[in-house]
Amino acid sequence: MVKKINYIVKDKSFEKFMMMVILGTTGDAMDIEMNFFFTFWGLELLKKGKKPKVQGMPTPMKGMATRMFTKRLKEYGMDDPLAMLKEAVTEGKVRLIPCSMTMDLMRIKREELLDFVEEPVGAATFFEISADADAIISL
Amino acid sequence: MVSITLDALGKKCPMPVLLAKKELKKMNSGEVLEVISDDSGSLKDIPSLLSKTGDELLDTTQDGEVITFTIKKI
Repeated sequence: MVKKINYIVKDKSFEKFMMMVILGTTGDAMDIEMNFFFTFWGLELLKKGKKPKVQGMPTPMKGMATRMFTKRLKEYGMDDPLAMLKEAVTEGKVRLIPCSMTMDLMRIKREELLDFVEEPVGAATFFEISADADAIISL
Repeated sequence: MVSITLDALGKKCPMPVLLAKKELKKMNSGEVLEVISDDSGSLKDIPSLLSKTGDELLDTTQDGEVITFTIKKI
């Protein structure tokens, strides 16, 4: 039985954000520890008030595609993705862990990040929490 | 004897699974949950969820696109 899956999130796209929300909340529902380690542009997904945009579209269509996907997901019964993620963090087994070094590198401050994000840690801590992980996946 | 019915009609992955889990969490052992879904993916997803939670799938019926799962909370 899978017990723990760790992800490295390095991109800031809508697609990566939704993958994180869907896999994170579902893994949590199945009692799997879901740890997400955010580095480089992935840190943008943890910023307060940030709305990720669709990556896989030509630039002029990114905004429209994002709105279209968001509308469809709502029709599919999905609640606010950020609220779903928050619930899975505060009541479940999802952990959102920012990388401290790349935060410094990209001049991102802790207070810019969402309140339910954990304290930033380094690569060694990521490997420590990965010691008994069933899989480590890069998003 | 169904204790709670969850109407997940119109909802797609992962919502039927997430909502089913939410209901199961609140229920007492022995109570029965009925989940109604028209998401074809849930035909496999709901049993997958139960394989982890350990709750028992008593019955699955399909009427057109509508799937009804009867689940006993363990």
